[in-house]
Amino acid sequence: MNMHCFQSIRRTGAVLALAAFAPFVAADGKMVIKAGKVITLAGESIENGTIVVENGRITAIGTDVQAPWDAEVLEYPGLVAFPGFVEAITNYGMDRSNENVDVAPFLDVRDSIDPVNFYFENSLRAGVTTLNVQHAANCVIGANGHIVKPVGMTVEEMSVKPGAGLVLSASPKGGKSAATQAQALRGAFSDLRDYLEDVVQEKKDGKDYARREALYQGREPDEETSKGRAMEGSAWKVEGLELVPRWEIDEKQAPMLRLVEGKTSAFFYCRSPKDVSIAISVAEQNGFLARTTLVLEPSCWKAADVIAERGLPVILDATLVHIETDPLTGEEIETFVPGVFAEKGVRFALRSETALNQSLWFQAARCVGYGMTREQAIAAVTTTPAELLGLGGRVGSLAAGKDANVVLFSGDPLSVTSKVEYVVIEGNLVYDRSTDVRMRHVETGEQPENTAPADAEEFDPHPEDDGDGEEEAEEDEDEPAEDKDN
Amino acid sequence: MMLQLAGALCAIALGTTEPATVESTVIFADAIYTSTGSVIENGAVTVVDGKITAITPGKTPGDDDVHVGAITAGMIDLSARLVRGPDTVEQTQEITPEMRVEHAIDWFDAEWGRQAESGVTTVLLSPQDQNVVSGLSVAVKTAGVPELVKRAVKRDACLRGAMGRQPSNGNHPAFRRPTDFFSRRPTTRMGVEWEWRKAFYDAAQARAAGEEATAGARGILDVLDGKRPLMIQAWATQDIRTAVFFKEEMAMEGFGELTLILDAAAEAWREPELLVRSKAAIILPPLPDFGRADDGAFMALSTAKKLVEAGVPVALSSHGAKADRDRLAMQGALARRGGLSLEEALAAVTITPAQMIGIADRVGSLEVGKDADLALWNGEPFQATSRVVGTVIDGVLLVDPRNQ
Repeated sequence: MNMHCFQSIRRTGAVLALAAFAPFVAADGKMVIKAGKVITLAGESIENGTIVVENGRITAIGTDVQAPWDAEVLEYPGLVAFPGFVEAITNYGMDRSNENVDVAPFLDVRDSIDPVNFYFENSLRAGVTTLNVQHAANCVIGANGHIVKPVGMTVEEMSVKPGAGLVLSASPKGGKSAATQAQALRGAFSDLRDYLEDVVQEKKDGKDYARREALYQGREPDEETSKGRAMEGSAWKVEGLELVPRWEIDEKQAPMLRLVEGKTSAFFYCRSPKDVSIAISVAEQNGFLARTTLVLEPSCWKAADVIAERGLPVILDATLVHIETDPLTGEEIETFVPGVFAEKGVRFALRSETALNQSLWFQAARCVGYGMTREQAIAAVTTTPAELLGLGGRVGSLAAGKDANVVLFSGDPLSVTSKVEYVVIEGNLVYDRSTDVRMRHVETGEQPENTAPADAEEFDPHPEDDGDGEEEAEEDEDEPAEDKDN
Repeated sequence: MMLQLAGALCAIALGTTEPATVESTVIFADAIYTSTGSVIENGAVTVVDGKITAITPGKTPGDDDVHVGAITAGMIDLSARLVRGPDTVEQTQEITPEMRVEHAIDWFDAEWGRQAESGVTTVLLSPQDQNVVSGLSVAVKTAGVPELVKRAVKRDACLRGAMGRQPSNGNHPAFRRPTDFFSRRPTTRMGVEWEWRKAFYDAAQARAAGEEATAGARGILDVLDGKRPLMIQAWATQDIRTAVFFKEEMAMEGFGELTLILDAAAEAWREPELLVRSKAAIILPPLPDFGRADDGAFMALSTAKKLVEAGVPVALSSHGAKADRDRLAMQGALARRGGLSLEEALAAVTITPAQMIGIADRVGSLEVGKDADLALWNGEPFQATSRVVGTVIDGVLLVDPRNQ
C-alpha cells in the first residue's frame, strides 16, 4: 500500500515531479494532521484540531484525540483544514467529452479518462479531491461514468467508484429536433423491451442465439450471472426473464436493463425547462426516477416547482445567474439560479468553471455574495454532491471512518485571498503549493525549468515555395479585408 | 432571490432618470472606503445636488434607510469601450488623430445600464485599435442625461493608438491579388512602428518648418506639447518597449515630452523599472485564465502587485469585456489574490485611473465636494463573497440595494 502511495505521489505530474519532494506518509500508513482550525462540515468547527489518519481513513478527529506514537505528524497551526471539494459532474479529463453514437450505454468513460490530462492536475491545486467524470450531452443515452480522485497515472489508481451511472439527455444536440430526441429516448427503452421479449421467446422456443452471441462476444458466466433472474423494478416487466441467464444478455443492452431495474444512477441533462418534464416522464415510465439526478442549464430554474414536487436532486450549471432579455422591450431579467432551488427546498450541487482561480470554492463564495447562507453554499460543493454520488459515507466532510481527503487553506476557504497550500487524499500528501512550479509560473511569471517557449516555431526562409511548382493556397498573412472589421 | 432589475436598467438605458434634486440623500454603511487612505466604520455619506456634502462616522441607520456593507467611490474603467466595433474606428487611413470617438456613442445601448449596475460610474471610451493612431477618447458617466455635454467628464481626454499586431490585421501587401483598399501599410509590427514614427516626425518637422498644422497634425502636436496623455495599447513586452523607446526618441529629437499611458499592458510585470524610467501609467486587461493574453503576452497573477511595489500607477480594466457584469469588481478581487491590499485594489479602480486622465478633481474618491458617484457593496469590497448591490451616479440612486 505504502510503496504504491509513494509511486502515486511521484507520478502525479510535472507539478511534483520537477520538485524534490519527500512524502510524509509514515511506513505503516499513519498520519496526524494538526491545523489551526478544522472545518469538518459534520458538526462544529474545531479550533486547533487534530485529524488522525490510518490506512487512508480518518480514525479520530477532535482537540484531545490521542495521536499514535508512530504516526508522521503534519503541523499547520496557521492553516485551515477543510474537506476536499466534490465535483458533482464534469465532462473534462477525457480524450474527448462526447460520443457521436445516439445510444451508447455500453461505453465506459474508464476507457476515455486520461490521467495526465491537465484538468486533473488543475483540479488538485484547487482542492477538488473527488470528480464524477461523465460524458457531455451529445448522446441520447451515453456512457457509464467513473468517479475518480485527481491523482494517479492509471484509471485504476485514480478510481474512487466505477460505474458511477449513465448519462441521458433530454435535450437535442445541434441539428436534431426536440421531438426526435424525445422519441429516440423513448425508443431506446422500447428497443430494450423488444429485445428482452425476443430473448425470452427464443429461450421458450429452444433457440440458443443469445448464448452463442455471448460466447462470440467473449463473455463468460460467473456465479452471479450464470443464473436467470426475474426482472426487478416496477415500471414495466418482461415476463419469463428468469429463463435467460444474465450473462447471455447482450452487453449493449445490459446497462440499460440495470438502469430500469434501478441498479444504476442516471444523470439526466436538461438544457431548457421543457426538457425537464420529458426527463421526468422517461425516468418515471422506466422505473429509475428514484435514482435520477437532473443536470440543468441555467434557464431550467423555471421548472424548479416541478422538480421540487418530485423531490429530485439537481446539479446546476457553472453560470450562476440566468439573464433573460424580454423579446419585446429588451428589458433584462436576472435570476440567481441556485437561490431559486434553495428556496424551493431542492437538493442542489454546483459545478465549477475550468478557470484556474474560479473553482468550486469560488462558486460557493459567489452564492454567498448573492445572499445564500455559507452553510448552504458550502454544502453544494461538498456534502450534497457526495450524497448524490452515493459517497456520503466516504467524502464531503471530515469525520471518523471517512476517506482522509483534506485541503489545507491559508485562510477562510471562501476568501479570494486564501490559497490551497496542501492537499491530502486518502492519507497521502499529494499537493504542496511550495513545490508547484506551474502555479508559481501563473502567479509570478517565473518560467518552469526545462520548458520550451510556447511559440518555438522553426524559421522557414521560403514559406511561399515548397518546390512542387504549384501555387500555394493563400496564407493568413494576406487575410481578406473583412477581418479588418472585427 | 429574483433580481428584478429590469426597471432600473431600462430607466438607465433610456436616460429617463430624475435629475438630482436639492433634497439630501443619506446612505449608511458598515464601512466607508474613501480611496484617500481612510476607512470610516459605521458611517454615512450625505449627498446634495449630485455632490458629496458630508461623510460622517458613527451614524446609525433607521429601518427605511439605505444601509449597505460598504461604500466605495464609483469605479472607473479606462478601457471600457461601450461603443465598440468598426463604427468607432475610421479605417480610411491608419493615422486619424483628429477623429473623436464621442461622435460614435449610442446613448441608448443596454450596456450602459449593465455598467452602472456593476458599480462602474465613469468610463473612458476609445476607438477600437484597428488604426495605428485612432483618435481622441472621451470620459463619460455611465448614467444620466443622454447628451454628450451633460455626460462627459472630460472630452478629448487622451489620444489613442496601438502597437503590436492588431493595427496591421486585415491589411495585406499588393501581391498576387488585385490591389484593394487594404493593400497598404502596415502589414507587420515594424510597419506599425514605422507609421507611428512617420506621423510624429511629419507633424513635428512641419511645425519646425513653420508650416500650418493640419487637423491630424494638431492632434499629434497636442500630445507632444503635453496637453493630453498618449494612450497606447501594448500587450507584450516587445510592444511595451517599442512604446517606451518611442517616447524617449521623441524627447531626444526635441519634439516634445509625451505622457504615456499603456493600455492592456499584460506583460508590464516583466520590466517595471523600464516603466518607472518612462513615467508610464499602466492599464491592465482582465486576468486571463492561466495567464495567456493577446498578442502572445503572458500576464502573471501578481502583475498589479509588482507594479504597485515598483511605484508604477496601475489601473484595472475590463478591456471591453461584456459578458461578465462584475468584471471590474472581480478584477479587483483577483488583484488582491495576486497580492494587492484592499486599499491598493480600490485605488486601482478609482483614484489612480482618475488621476491618469486628469479627472480626479471630480471623481475617483469619496471627498466632500466631489461628484456623488458611489458603489454600494453587500460586504467587503473586492471579495469573492460580496458584490455591488447598488449604484449612485451624480447623486441619483440608480440601483437600490433595498430591492435586491
